[in-house]
Formats: sequence, structure tokens, C-alpha cells
Amino acid sequence: MNCSNVGRKSPQDYESAPFLAACWTYISLAILIMFGYLRDFLRRIGLDKNQSATERNKMKGFVPLYASFEGFFSRNIFKRAIHGAGKPICSPPTVEVDVLERTSDDENWHFRLTGKKRRCINLASYNYLGFAEKDGPCVHATAQALQQYGVGVCSSRQELGNYNIHEELETTTARFLGVEDAITFGMGFATNSMNIPVLMGGKGCLILSDEKNHASIVLGARLGGSVIQVFKHNDMDDLEEKLRDAIISGRPGTHRAWRKILIIVEGIYSMEGSIVKLLDVIRLKRKYGAYLYLDEAHSIGALGETGRGVTEYWGVNPRDVDIMMGTFTKGFGAAGGYIAGSKRLINHLRTYSHSTTYACSMSAPVAQQVISSMRIIMGEDGTEIGKLRIAQLAANAKYFRRRLRDMGFVVCGDDDSPVVPFLVCVPGRILAVMEELFERNIACVTGTFPATSITKGRARVCISAAHTQQMLDKALDAISEVGDRLQLKYSL
Amino acid sequence: MDRTQPKGLPTRVPVGTMGDGGTTYSGVNPNAVWLNSRGIWLSYVIAVTILHLVLLSIPFLNVAQAWTLTNVVHNIGNYIFLHMLKGTPWETNWDQGKSRLLTHWEQIDFGEQFTTTRKFLFLAPVILFILASFYTKYDPLHFIINLSTMLLVLIPKLPQLHGVRIFGINKY
Repeated sequence: MNCSNVGRKSPQDYESAPFLAACWTYISLAILIMFGYLRDFLRRIGLDKNQSATERNKMKGFVPLYASFEGFFSRNIFKRAIHGAGKPICSPPTVEVDVLERTSDDENWHFRLTGKKRRCINLASYNYLGFAEKDGPCVHATAQALQQYGVGVCSSRQELGNYNIHEELETTTARFLGVEDAITFGMGFATNSMNIPVLMGGKGCLILSDEKNHASIVLGARLGGSVIQVFKHNDMDDLEEKLRDAIISGRPGTHRAWRKILIIVEGIYSMEGSIVKLLDVIRLKRKYGAYLYLDEAHSIGALGETGRGVTEYWGVNPRDVDIMMGTFTKGFGAAGGYIAGSKRLINHLRTYSHSTTYACSMSAPVAQQVISSMRIIMGEDGTEIGKLRIAQLAANAKYFRRRLRDMGFVVCGDDDSPVVPFLVCVPGRILAVMEELFERNIACVTGTFPATSITKGRARVCISAAHTQQMLDKALDAISEVGDRLQLKYSL
Repeated sequence: MDRTQPKGLPTRVPVGTMGDGGTTYSGVNPNAVWLNSRGIWLSYVIAVTILHLVLLSIPFLNVAQAWTLTNVVHNIGNYIFLHMLKGTPWETNWDQGKSRLLTHWEQIDFGEQFTTTRKFLFLAPVILFILASFYTKYDPLHFIINLSTMLLVLIPKLPQLHGVRIFGINKY
């Protein structure tokens, strides 16, 4: 039980963009926007070639299909930096990955491959426990499952797509998490977007969702038609205030009591690297009688002494969380998602989920990959590999974060989380970080406005258990060099 | 329910007092919150100051003309970006085009009136008008120009004109 986390003020309460960097961000964006208007003007008068989508001449009199103003950022600002995103890779996303180089002859509108490959240290893939490998016990078991079941399932769970391997996967997942039952789906995003409407459909439902929740949760919440209230990121006082307001004033208009209230939080937030304050959420949930939906997409397998996720990290009984959700894409190196909880909940989902009724079930080799990796983590395969990997991940994450902080970067998130974003703020520098690191054979992910807040453009590193000390040191040296060159060490 | 909120407001009650909630992936319109971000007001003042200094350095303009020009350019820019351009420069696939018909001013803070950002943006032309009147020594011609541009930019900001399109101009 990790009592040391109770009551400790987390680092995320302190980090923010430095003032001058924020001002410089606004000026950069203003300059980019001015040049964007200039380029649009040149395109309109014909001096510049218009490569964005337009209607054919025959359709000019109709209601326009493409809103040209909505594409402003995409055309003028993202296009300048799009060569940094979507790079094709041609090897499995292990600790080193082969990235195909490409060039563009018309300012990033069209790319072509140069034929060269670049072997980069992979700081971008969500490969927390290192299960995305080409060889090993998981791969052998998966190959066997492939030969036994083939690839395609050709049916949904409720028709003829319910394999015995799916049942085995679900019992293994339930055993792994320490709950009564679990149900799995073929796609992680769809797990949220297809099942939240089932659980919170109809009138009189209220969803309290964290500010930085993933798009799948937002989509699922909207599809169900319930009223959504957003509380400040990981701010338990704000959550309590919203809970009290909701219960006191009731439904909008009639002021009658809500049928049910659901709090949706994530274990680790992928762009912030912060860990949810689960103890406070459970205390509030019990006090005010709300339900809790915990999305452990990034934290399952990555947190906790035995990899059981954020509930083990905080020492919480998993049965206190009403609906546990997670994905197999990150910690287990497979694809798909699960929802776990009481037998009543899972039986309801087995009947009513859109996914089980209409969507194809998980492919058998993928299910086998999850089963093998889960058993390795639990130690049921008889080796210590699982324990070693979890310990290595925790050590790597702590080491990397500490070194980055010591170098002077503003690092977001909690000390134990394997997602390490550091602030870059200015749009030009965000692109430069991506390019410079790629030159030094490091692959990492960056995010800018409007995908992040306007002053908090960042680069994000995902630590893996398979990263060796030398790789991390090499990466840190490269990041430090780039940080000196681009003046990113805001804390110094 | 608040009477000043227009119809068609999303059921999602927003956060973002510091502009930190506005990202396209969270389904919140960044246009509504980015003016609350850290340092934006100071940057606004600095931008106007730089504009003024640039105008002051043009050799054939005297001080009064430079101040009036600052006021006029600021107000015209304010009008175009806040009240003429509608929609968002990025895709808003979560709100089914509801913000496409709203100007930036109407999108700020999701239509809530009398927030601090709106008060700041309302005060900026007023302060510039006062400064310009002082530096032009209350000359009548300059006064008329400054007053008319100030009214041009203040009247659309009144809550009574939220969502109003006079003679259907700029409706779609």
C-alpha cells in the first residue's frame, strides 16, 4: 500500500508556462496568422497555387462543402509542421524503430519517400512494459493462436464471434484486476465511445468529466445525451463543488433529483503525465453517492507494484471503483479494450453494448497476445520477467524525470508516471524540437495549439521498461543539447 | 437559467478560467477560452504599444495624427477580428457547426456576459480613446474620428447586441 502518496502535493500543482515564453507564443502565433492571411490572399488572386480541397466548378452555386475559414489553421499553420507527424515506420515499435525518411517538393502538401531509413531511439510509442517485440514467449504463443484460429473473426460477439479464447481473455482480465468479471472489445477507443452511452443513456443522467479526458470519453458522453459538467483537471475541490451544486439544484429546468451521477477520470492522462488523485475521488464518490468510471488506458500495467494499475498504486480496493476500463494497446502490446466490474454490470454490457451487438470481436492472435503478456506480468508463466519489467519501468521513469528536471526543463505530471511531457510553448520551437531530435536519431511526439492549451505546447516522451540506461542517457544528452540550442530550459 | 445566454449553448458547462481547458480534443472551443490565458492581456497591451511606437516613428506624422491612427487601426483590427470574422479557424467537429455562425466576441466564455475578459476588451478601446483625446488636444476633427471608431467597436460588444445581425449583414 503506497501511503506515501496520501496528502502529498503533487508537482502538477506547480508547473505552468513561463511568462515570457507565453508572451512569445502569442507573438509567434500572431505572426503565423498574419502570414496565413497573406498566403490565403495570394491564393485567392491566383499568385499561389491552391492545394486545399475545393469544390468542382459545377458545384460553385451550391451550399459550400468546404468551409475555407475552418481550414485556416490546417492550411497555413499545421501544413508547415506536418512533416513532423505521421512519419511512416517499418519495424515493430520496440525501443528502437526504423523511420522512413520523406521529402516534399510542394511545401508539405505531398510527400514522397526518399528510400532512406533512420534507426531512432523510440521515445514515442506507448510501449510501457516492452511487449511490442518481434520475438519472445508472447510472439510464439500468438503465432500458435494464429495457426489455430486464423486472423479474421467474421462476426460479432453476440452472433458467432465468441471464441473460447475471448472467454479465457475475460476471465484472465478479471483475475488480473481483482474484480468479479470483465468484458473485452476489439478497439480501445470504441470501448469508451460505445459503452458510456449504454451506461449513461436516457434522461436524468449527469456526467462529471475531468477537463483533460480523452476524446473517446468526450464522444461517449455526448453520444449518450446526458448532461456533462467538466471539472478542473485533477482538482478535487472543484469536483466537490460541482457535485454539491448538482445534487442541490438537481436537473436543469425541473430541479428534480438526478437519476445517476457518474464521475469519469483517467488513471494517467496521456498529454499531461499526471496521475489521478484516486483517494479523494473515492472519498467524494462515497460521500455524495455518485458512481466512478476509471479509464486506465495508460496506467494499467504501468503503475503499481505488480502492475495492477492506479488502484494498486494508491492502495485502493478495485471493488471500490464501479466501472474499471482500460486498453490493451499500451501496457500489453496488443489492441482492444476492456471494461471490468461486478457481474451484474458486465452481464448488462454483454447484452446491451453496441460493440458486442454490431462490431466484430477481437482477432484471436491479438487476444492471445494479451493473455500471454498478462500472465507474464502476473508471474503465472513461472518466470520473474513481469516483476523485473515493472521495476525497470518505474526506475526508468523516475530517472528520466529527475534528470530532465535537473537539466532545467519544465516537466509536467507526477514523478511516478511513465509519460514525461516537457513544455516547449512557442510553436516554432515545437517544430524545431521535433526536427532536431530526429536529426539526432530520437523519435518523440509533440503537441501544439489547439491540440494543447495555447501556452502549453509540449514534447512528450513515453518511457518503456525495455529502455536501457545507455539509451536513456543518449536521449537525455540529445534533449539537453536541443534544449540549449532552442533555449527550452525554462526553469534555470 | 441565465437569460443572457443564447439558445443553442452546448450542455457541456465549461471550465478554463485560465484558458487551459481549451483544446480541440477535449471538445471545448479554444476560441472561447484562449483570451483568458496567462499573459494575454499584457501581450495585448504590448502589441498596441508597439503599433503606436511604429506609427510614431513615421516621419511625416505628428503626435496627434499618430495617436488617432493608433486608435483607428486598433479599433478596425478589433472590429474585424472580434465582430466580423465568424466561426473558428480550426475544425469544430464536436458542436455540429453551432459556432460557425457566431463571431469571436459571441464565442468568448461560451456566451456568458460580463466576464473579466469581456470587461478588459470593452475597456481597451475606451482607454485608447481617452489617451488619444488627450494627445490630440481635443481637436474637433480628431475627436469625431476617434469617437466614431470607438462607437463602432463598443456597440457590438453590448450584451443586447449578442447574436444580432443588423439588416442581415454577416448573418451566414
